[in-house]
Amino acid sequence: MSSRRRVLLKVIILGDSGVGKTSLMNQFVNRKFSNQYKATIGADFLTKEVQIDDRIFTLQIWDTAGQERFQSLGVAFYRGADCCVLVYDVNVMKSFDNLNNWREEFLIQASPSDPENFPFVVLGNKTDVDGGKSRVVSEKKAKAWCASKGNIPYFETSAKEGFNVDAAFECITKNAFKNEPEEEPYLPDTIDVAGGQQQRSTGCEC
Amino acid sequence: MDEEYEVIVLGTGLKECILSGLLSVDGLKVLHMDRNDYYGGESTSLNLNQLWKKFRGEEKAPAHLGSSRDYNVDMMPKFMMANGKLVRVLIHTDVTKYLSFKAVDGSYVFVQGKVQKVPATPMEALKSPLMGIFEKRRAGKFFSYVQEYDEKDPKTHDGMDLRRVTTKDLIAKFGLKEDTIDFIGHAVALHCNDNHLHQPAYDTVMRMKLYAESLARFQGGSPYIYPLYGLGELPQAFARLSAVYGGTYMLNKPECKVEFDEEGKVSGVTSEGETAKCKKVVCDPSYLTNKVRKIGRVARAIAIMSHPIPNTNDSQSVQVILPQKQLGRKSDMYVFCCSYSHNVAPKGKFIAFVSTDAETDNPQTELQPGIDLLGPVDELFFDIYDRYEPVNEPTLDNCFISTSYDATTHFDTTVVDVLNMYKLITGKELDLSVDLNAASAAEEE
Repeated sequence: MSSRRRVLLKVIILGDSGVGKTSLMNQFVNRKFSNQYKATIGADFLTKEVQIDDRIFTLQIWDTAGQERFQSLGVAFYRGADCCVLVYDVNVMKSFDNLNNWREEFLIQASPSDPENFPFVVLGNKTDVDGGKSRVVSEKKAKAWCASKGNIPYFETSAKEGFNVDAAFECITKNAFKNEPEEEPYLPDTIDVAGGQQQRSTGCEC
Repeated sequence: MDEEYEVIVLGTGLKECILSGLLSVDGLKVLHMDRNDYYGGESTSLNLNQLWKKFRGEEKAPAHLGSSRDYNVDMMPKFMMANGKLVRVLIHTDVTKYLSFKAVDGSYVFVQGKVQKVPATPMEALKSPLMGIFEKRRAGKFFSYVQEYDEKDPKTHDGMDLRRVTTKDLIAKFGLKEDTIDFIGHAVALHCNDNHLHQPAYDTVMRMKLYAESLARFQGGSPYIYPLYGLGELPQAFARLSAVYGGTYMLNKPECKVEFDEEGKVSGVTSEGETAKCKKVVCDPSYLTNKVRKIGRVARAIAIMSHPIPNTNDSQSVQVILPQKQLGRKSDMYVFCCSYSHNVAPKGKFIAFVSTDAETDNPQTELQPGIDLLGPVDELFFDIYDRYEPVNEPTLDNCFISTSYDATTHFDTTVVDVLNMYKLITGKELDLSVDLNAASAAEEE
């Protein structure tokens, strides 16, 4: 095993309801896809180890758990994110138009120390639908928006077919790691509430 | 909206969020709404700008205090007993995975005009000036009795039925002095007044055992733990649990109006011209003001400081209990302090709270003994609010209203209210007998 320290990176996935955020996460982590749409139930955060060159990263990928549907994500969801993935559906213009809102909401809630350079990645999902015939957002338009927001990396994906998903998450991992501060941030020593130490016995049995 | 739910929860206070989480896990279809655009309701944690807006009516706080987002100022400051009911709820629901905790540095008590540490180890107990040598011996015997007491083992009862013998009579058997009784009753058993002395001793003994177990659990300087980023994390964590199990969340919904049918049973909730139907409503008192009655007022001072509370050995997180008798009041006063070490303020800043039940028409003045313990203060705010309890009959109208949070700096009453409401709503008892050692063993697999 590599003696290098393992890096835990928090990645959050934002976007309108129904664009495929949960499916992307499941495709990447579990290699699964479900056609049955239900506003997200049961999705939480998932972790996956990613090896890039000789380095191992642990990605902690946070889904919105459906709370984005009525703009009801709390500040705790955003805290500590190392990279923000913005997802839209290439077949739904409104989901692309709302990327701006999601990006701004993230910057307000997360308050990163360097907002100009915080790493975003944009995914245009569902490129498989109708063999591409119902597409309404052109790749050119999407790339132009990404360029205008500080050259955000852009990937076109299909969670259903697994197209480009790994490449997208590799980019996400690299950018998240670049954002990780060099010096260790102030980390209070926390305790494990769910585990805990064996209780000290009171009085000996002898 | 314009849908049908089994339960609609109004207000995202901690109690409401725990219930929302539990009910969603049970498979009920839950809609959870709040008039604010943030989670927590009256139990939220505010950033600096939110604090300024609420108490000063200004949009922006002074720049010299640091970044607004670095502050998480609790509106309901409480510490968690490490082995207490709230920890058991967190473990039962697996909500601990969304949270990080740190032990609280110290627990202190105000006795004879001085702040004294509540001993956390036998060594500290021996050195403590709280008791003289002979009193320590008597207290040691009492603590041993409590430690050994097992309701199911009559040999440990020493001939006393704690379901009948009062606390006062039990303590009299050990010959303890007034100040010791005060210290044990308020700083260890965490009673908020002296009524317990005339009640059966069982409750007090169980509380003392909980204190000892919590102290032993993480072997810190106190029996308390507290989440990083403040208590506002707790409602959000339970809300996420609810969402993961299908709960629907709508913040920023003004004027949530509860609708009733001709029989007086709840039928739905209307907001912004849309109505969601439901069978039951769960809410905090502010959403159904005609079904609650006032039961008192809480007075609280909130201070931003640049130093720890004096005489607490530079503790970065600390509780000081001021027993009622020491102040000549009817109920205790609580001082609670946390800081950048729990990520609730920028580096070098401390947030302190002084809380008590208001007993006069001049609550701010009542808080002065606690404020005097703080030392120099950068900013001071006062929050005086009424407490309510429900007076409706849930079996008739299907409305389940929580009781307002009290002034104590621990969560016992909060969880008891939640558990009682859960039973009323579902007819089921929540089994919280989490085996903490089993949790540890499971983790090691």
